[in-house]
Amino acid sequence: MASYVFAQGTPMAEYDRSLAWAALLLAAGGLVMVYSASIDIAASSRYTGDNSAYFLVRQAIFLGVALLTATVVFLVPVRLWQKAAPWLFVGGVLLLVLVLVPGLGREVNGARRWLNLRAFNIQPSELMKLGAVLYAADYTVRKHAVLKRFKKGLLPMLGVMLLVSWLLLREPDFGAFVVIAITTFGVIFLGGMNGRHFALLVVMLALGFAGLVLSSPYRMHRIFGFMDPWSDAYGSGYQLSHALIAFGRGEWFGVGLGASVEKLQYLPEAHTDFLLAVIAEELGFVGVAVVIGLFAWIVFRAFLIGRRAALRERHFAALAAQGIGVWIGFQAVINMGVNMGLLPTKGLTLPLMSFGGTGVVVNFVSLAILLRIDWENRQLARGLPA
Amino acid sequence: MSLAATPALVRLPVWRARFVLAAFVFAFIVLAVRSVYLQAMKTGFLQEQGEARYSRVMEVPATRGRILDRNGEALAVSTPVKSIWVIPDDVKASRGQKKRLAGLLGLDARELDKKLAETSRDFVYLKRQIAPDTADKVEALGIPGVYQQREYRRYYPGGEVTAHLIGFTGVDDAGQEGVELAFQSSLAGQPGSRRVIKDRLGRIVEDVESIRGAQDGHDLTLSIDSKIQSLAYGALRSAVAAHGAKAGAIVAIDVRTGEILALANVPSYNPNNRSHLSGAQLRNRAITDSFEPGSTLKPFTIAVALEQHRIAPTTRIQTAPGKLTIGRYTIHDAHPESMLSVAQVIQKSSNVGAAKIALELPREQMWKMFERVGFGAPPQLRFPGEASGKVRPWQTWRPIEQATMAYGHGISVSLLQLAHAYTVFARDGVLVPLTLVRTGTPVQGVRVISARTTHEIRDMLELAVQPGGTGPRARIVGWRVAGKTGTAHKQENGGYAPDKYIASFVGFAPASAPRMVIAVMIDEPAGREYYGGLVAAPVFAQVMQGALRMLNVPHDAPLEPLEQPSGSDDAREGT
Repeated sequence: MASYVFAQGTPMAEYDRSLAWAALLLAAGGLVMVYSASIDIAASSRYTGDNSAYFLVRQAIFLGVALLTATVVFLVPVRLWQKAAPWLFVGGVLLLVLVLVPGLGREVNGARRWLNLRAFNIQPSELMKLGAVLYAADYTVRKHAVLKRFKKGLLPMLGVMLLVSWLLLREPDFGAFVVIAITTFGVIFLGGMNGRHFALLVVMLALGFAGLVLSSPYRMHRIFGFMDPWSDAYGSGYQLSHALIAFGRGEWFGVGLGASVEKLQYLPEAHTDFLLAVIAEELGFVGVAVVIGLFAWIVFRAFLIGRRAALRERHFAALAAQGIGVWIGFQAVINMGVNMGLLPTKGLTLPLMSFGGTGVVVNFVSLAILLRIDWENRQLARGLPA
Repeated sequence: MSLAATPALVRLPVWRARFVLAAFVFAFIVLAVRSVYLQAMKTGFLQEQGEARYSRVMEVPATRGRILDRNGEALAVSTPVKSIWVIPDDVKASRGQKKRLAGLLGLDARELDKKLAETSRDFVYLKRQIAPDTADKVEALGIPGVYQQREYRRYYPGGEVTAHLIGFTGVDDAGQEGVELAFQSSLAGQPGSRRVIKDRLGRIVEDVESIRGAQDGHDLTLSIDSKIQSLAYGALRSAVAAHGAKAGAIVAIDVRTGEILALANVPSYNPNNRSHLSGAQLRNRAITDSFEPGSTLKPFTIAVALEQHRIAPTTRIQTAPGKLTIGRYTIHDAHPESMLSVAQVIQKSSNVGAAKIALELPREQMWKMFERVGFGAPPQLRFPGEASGKVRPWQTWRPIEQATMAYGHGISVSLLQLAHAYTVFARDGVLVPLTLVRTGTPVQGVRVISARTTHEIRDMLELAVQPGGTGPRARIVGWRVAGKTGTAHKQENGGYAPDKYIASFVGFAPASAPRMVIAVMIDEPAGREYYGGLVAAPVFAQVMQGALRMLNVPHDAPLEPLEQPSGSDDAREGT
């Protein structure tokens, strides 16, 4: 492996600089674009008190908290994460239960996703994403001996995941459900799950999905509506058609930072789920390409770090690293695919970039864990204790 | 269980990691390709869709043309003003701000609150057409949700002097009355349009392109001379006031060009503030009202007789005993005379004389005369509501009607038509077409009567304003005047009111080479002095004298004071 040679051959840095820079660049760019995308909505909404910097200030505070937390997390040895993984997972499940308790969960637009902690709100489904990755990695390593057996290997995980899925769909938070399900089974798959079980799972999922969709023309329309938003451009296709227009207006180099028209109350959720559309309009294909490239780089580094950990027999670290890569990468791909009309519209933010406190903090925490794994790899490579 | 203890058991399959990574690479490539497709290939369609959503074509208002008098003085100009509108739902103002806003706009607080409460609407006018500096103060309040729109408002420097003539525009800048309405299409111009991008709340965020520039309206130069106009209006207003009359009108025409130099009515109004208007104030009587003119029509009857060679100016007519009975009707003279020459019939304004002459004439010839001098048809000035008057077809005339028409009853004309008809006598028998627009060039007219007949009539009309005639008060120092008085009973409820009159005078000067025709009409002068020679003739004299002086018309009479008759008996006339 070329990169392995590269890692061996040159004097190593203390940590993975390119990964850190990619994350910081995305976050900084995200901050600017969140401000640009929200400036008009914030300036004319009672909810924000007509303060055009409302979302900018909050996202900046979130990023500050995220960086502080990440710094602390970087100091935590990976083995502690492994020990804590089951408890973190249980804690996550408890929060998911709490958010459904009337009076505790804050309901916005018919979805109960936030826990009100007076000073701020937290979104348990975001925390659960990290909890699920760590738990899946620990589970895989713990149950390695029996992993290929259906009853002892796959079934317990399926059961736990059904519970989590049920809780997530009660909120409802379909986006988080998809990300957590894919990440969890991704980790087990990478960890050596029985290939036939995996195939069976995929076939079952596909059949179930097809059955659900085919049984109801309404659901079919809801799900496949994204393929032709222009047929109902002022109804169900409204948001997507405006996102696509934003892409079309951006062309190669964009209309210029701040010059988006779509963000002027036309495109809903411009600063959260549809931030990429505003990037596409203001910064053009170049902007989109940079975002794609940085996410691709993060995924690549995550897999590389995981591979290095695996070579040192640090299996939990390896799976956690790749799991984080799968999670961030998958969520980014889905979000971008939705923005470009390749996938059905589902509420998912662009990791590191979109507005949202819990999301940004959890993203940075997981990247700090990734950097920690890498740092321990490097320590071991130097013959130092990890 | 520590990690180090399980090396033999745990083996992560490398190919799976590579497979997942490859899947990611594939996904990222698909995204990039899709992005290129959207941002470089499908741009035409997408941008078109975008424009359909937020690109709007805005109208760019054209500035309305000015209306000028013949010397370039402004009679109507457009001044920029602002209209204040709100999106009620977006307005956030403190109590103090609202109070100041209401104060600036001259609204009371409750009215303002009511407008701001219409939260279901996206566009509510608070106040239209306010002065730009007031609008600036409103803007300085900095209340969100309050917007301004640039508009134009018409301002009429002439005020009430030219009110009826110029008319006015509505709040949408379209002519509603007078010249503003008559010349709407050329004054208004063509509004332009430009393409803009609006946000979802309708605010313009970008000016894309100009589609069509606004074409400003054309300036319109009228034939009116503002100095003569204000002289005419002033003299008319004083006369109407002095005689306690209901109303009055005056028209002045340049006989060489057919240009109307002045046209005024009383009562008038201030076109710059039309909040309390009555219908009577709005009426442009000179053009839109017709009335039975009375004796001012006698010269036309005489002209027909002269043209038919039935009489000569010296032919003598028996008018004793001052009345003439035709069937059930009797015609009276105000001062009974005996034998009168035709010239004296005009001079003394004898109804009996005129009737007797008329009864000798073919009905058709009289009707033709009326028709050819423009009675019974609108004067074609493009002016809104031009009265055509009423001349019944000659086939239906009974003898009594033919007799009364000789002295201007049973026929109706507007004051403008009357003044127009008199240009025939002022122009050697030629009727000139009228115009409200400055031409400055003499026009060929249509011959109506021979020059000889014209000169004979002109002599009679000159006689009528000499002492011994009915209109000596029409004379002026320095120029010879020719003209005719009229004192007509007003029609009321199908009959004639015994004590309501319309006093009039129509004449021209200088008599040797006429330059201007002026017609004056006073409606219902109160009191005993209601004759045209007493009420209308002095107005004529005042305006004619001033106008001839302003136009530098050469004198044709010595500059010595005129002796006015002592009493008012001479001015008495039956109609």
